[in-house]
Amino acid sequence: MIKVALAGQPNCGKSTIFNLISGIHQHIANYPGVTVDKKVGRFNYQNEKIEMVDLPGTYSFSSYSLEERVAKDFLYDETPDVILNILDASNLKRNLYLSFQLLEIGIPVVIVLNMTDVAARRGISIDTKKMEELLGCRVVNASGAKGEGAEAIMEAVFSVYRQKERYENFQIHYEMLEPFIQEIETAIAGADLPLNRRWTAIKILEEDQALIEKLDNEQKRLTEKAQACEKRFFDMYGKDVAAFLAAVRYDSAEIVFHRCVSLKHGNKETLSDKVDQIVLNRWLAFPILLLIMIAVYELSIVGGYKLTDYTWPILAGFKSFVIDRLPEPDFINVPMITDLSVWMVNSANALLNYIPVFFILFAMIAIMEDVGYMPRLAFILDRVFKKYGLHGQSTLPLVLGGAMVGGCAVPGVMSTKGIADERARMATILAVPYMNCLAKVPFYTLILGAFFKDAMGIMMFYISTVTLFIALIVSKLLTSTVLRTRETAPFVMELPPYHLPTFKGVVLRAAQRVWVYVKKVVSIVLVVAMALFALLQFPGLEADSKRIFDEKVEKALSTFDRKLQSNPYYTLIDTREKVSTLLNAYDHYKSKRMIASGSQEAQKIDEAFLKKYPNLFILLKPHEDQAAKTVNNAVRQLSNVRKDLLRQIKNEKIEKSFLGIVGHAIEPLTHYAGFDWKINVAFLSSFAARESAVATLGSLYENAKADATRAEEAMADNGGYSPLSAVAILIFMILTPPCIATMIVVKMQSNSYRWMLFATFFPITLGLVSASLVFGFGNALNWSGLEAMGYFYASVVGIALGLGAMPSRLSAWTRANIKN
Amino acid sequence: MKCYLDSLRQGQTGKIIRIHSTGKLKQKLLDMGFIVGADIEVVREAPLYDPMELRIHTYLISLRRSEAALVEVEVL
Ligand SMILES: Nc1nc2c(ncn2[C@@H]2O[C@H](COP(=O)(O)OP(=O)(O)OP(=O)(O)O)[C@@H](O)[C@H]2O)c(=O)[nH]1
Ligand SMILES: [Mg+2]
Repeated sequence: MIKVALAGQPNCGKSTIFNLISGIHQHIANYPGVTVDKKVGRFNYQNEKIEMVDLPGTYSFSSYSLEERVAKDFLYDETPDVILNILDASNLKRNLYLSFQLLEIGIPVVIVLNMTDVAARRGISIDTKKMEELLGCRVVNASGAKGEGAEAIMEAVFSVYRQKERYENFQIHYEMLEPFIQEIETAIAGADLPLNRRWTAIKILEEDQALIEKLDNEQKRLTEKAQACEKRFFDMYGKDVAAFLAAVRYDSAEIVFHRCVSLKHGNKETLSDKVDQIVLNRWLAFPILLLIMIAVYELSIVGGYKLTDYTWPILAGFKSFVIDRLPEPDFINVPMITDLSVWMVNSANALLNYIPVFFILFAMIAIMEDVGYMPRLAFILDRVFKKYGLHGQSTLPLVLGGAMVGGCAVPGVMSTKGIADERARMATILAVPYMNCLAKVPFYTLILGAFFKDAMGIMMFYISTVTLFIALIVSKLLTSTVLRTRETAPFVMELPPYHLPTFKGVVLRAAQRVWVYVKKVVSIVLVVAMALFALLQFPGLEADSKRIFDEKVEKALSTFDRKLQSNPYYTLIDTREKVSTLLNAYDHYKSKRMIASGSQEAQKIDEAFLKKYPNLFILLKPHEDQAAKTVNNAVRQLSNVRKDLLRQIKNEKIEKSFLGIVGHAIEPLTHYAGFDWKINVAFLSSFAARESAVATLGSLYENAKADATRAEEAMADNGGYSPLSAVAILIFMILTPPCIATMIVVKMQSNSYRWMLFATFFPITLGLVSASLVFGFGNALNWSGLEAMGYFYASVVGIALGLGAMPSRLSAWTRANIKN
Repeated sequence: MKCYLDSLRQGQTGKIIRIHSTGKLKQKLLDMGFIVGADIEVVREAPLYDPMELRIHTYLISLRRSEAALVEVEVL
């Protein structure tokens, strides 16, 4: 097996080349630092087993960022057979800086000049033969985006691998540093090194802790030795080692660049420069940003919701497919499996319904990443973010989480990996869950529909824009307290040239992110939904009330029987079982016809039912048959009675359930915010996924007349709530904790259960306190709901702006007492 | 004329004389090509004044002023 490692600077196209060769679809973006973990692909190429590893991009091998650690550890510990060094041919000089460091390691290197299409467009031509001579390794041309170069690359890898023994080590001559390198080499002469000795010596001089740690018990001695050398070098030449090494490498890159590259039309202004003059223009930058946001909103949220009109029938079809295969209820005794399955399908459907919205949203974000707008966004907004302890690079996570228009915290938190600044990264992880979760929208719609029919627009505006301010406040609070001591990193970010996105790349990445979301649905959320179902079902009805319900059924049945005894169709319904069958058939038929669109489909349903119930069908659809009509009417009444009873049972079950008990138990705490047990239960159930809140509230507030009245109206009519308590509910929902899935990714990214718990309970407290404050003041001062929300909004924005205006005491870098 | 990079205005170019920082930031700057003798052009300031966009060697880097204040340059 040939082990190949792909190394190169950020954004040079490693992942694109990786995909091209291995056929595995990786995350590709025009955003430096997209691949942070290493990705492994195993495949066969010309009957040879290849293991290819896509390493994160690193500008160098000397600094300390997470990506560099990942890349370095891999090269140190797993010594690949060949290093495939990808270079951006349009930015050769800086890319060569890393190449020299890779060449020094002593593992055979194949250099791939990627983005040759861009280079050609800019009139850069590179003499690869010359380069091979100068660097002593194979140099191959490629263009990942155009799909060119895979064969040549693999051919070079094979030939280098086969002549591994003959590979000649490349050396840079470090002039006056050479004696010191020799000295360290002698010091480690006895050590058992996995890698090239000279290179190890250079790394020790650079005080590369990761490597020194690998040299076991010699650590202390070597560090001291290196420091002594550095001191002497400084005394002799007035230069420090790190700067000197960097300078020599850059000079070498310069030499190679000059010998191998010829520029056809000099340094004329590129297209990227021209675009930047507009996009980053002082006066135009924000209007353009706003336009882009509006476009994203219109296309993904508005357009996506329109698309769900077409996708919802698919999900509804899935639901009825499942229901058709479940055991039928016997009057009010619904089999547990039926109840559970319907609950699960509903939970899943509610989440899957967002797929079109997410797909469009993620595709738009992918386009922005590919084009290269994201780093520009970071550039434009860094000043703002910095004030709140965040980082320009927090932009992407916040946007994915929903800062622009709505999103999902799961991909948002996951994308925090690339943030170099540890403090800002933690702050971002903890801030993203406050962003506007798309799954909360149905809940908002329900509450707004019930209490703010006339002010929906403005309320929605408050809700969706207040979240960003809250996140900023939270992050400012955290970074100036608990996260204060965390490491920070400098904001030195490359602004890559603009690229045209490829259709395939965009679709793939959007699909990948949607897939993450779908996996969340089927895995975690369904498990939690199941647990929730149990918590809402058990311990179930008491024997007494069960008997009362049964008696009601008997009464309804005997009324039904008495009414129809003289009916010519009586033989079809003269036993309890027969009536039950008819009743179930009636309900099915009704619900099928309800979702059928067009007369053709309706006809199909009729035929299906006629086939299934040849005798009973006339009772389902009596036409002009008077006797059948009478039965039909009676069945309808019976069906309504049953629905009513089922609802009562469900209500009682929920109230008596474990979750209901908890909901009651915390009422003393939540009544300050005006929440009764029903709202508590809804919030508790929203932990699984926000959608459950709507489902639970919906079923709690549906009532006997509910066929016509929707949950919104039911809530407004007999919930006993005022618009003010609705605002308290909304505020709590805006602030409430991440759903289970988000908490799990918070755990993954922060690598600590304590932060996960913090990320759960801090928002709950914050939410409860805020809701109680607004509710309390609102009651005392007689605010209307709209006023209360307005005041809340104004104070949040005010606090955020106030905190932002506060001078930051966190200035990280000072012009140190430097001696060089 | 010697000064610090953060005081350069849009369009000005400077040659790096010295980097006044240590550890992580210094290494990062070195790796991004901030070596003594390199030319830096201030391409533009961000719409909110900070950070600034620089052209060094042949590529564009964005750098906060607080960090640019550590780079001593000779104005060209
Ligand atoms: N024009 C052109 N664009 C390319 C080429 N190869 C890659 N790209 C684009 O360059 C951008 C970066 O590609 P990636 O493959 O994500 O780069 P990477 O090296 O994996 O980046 P990190 O993982 O962030 O270090 C994407 O927008 C690609 O579409 C090429 O040969 N020509
Ligand atoms: Mg990558």
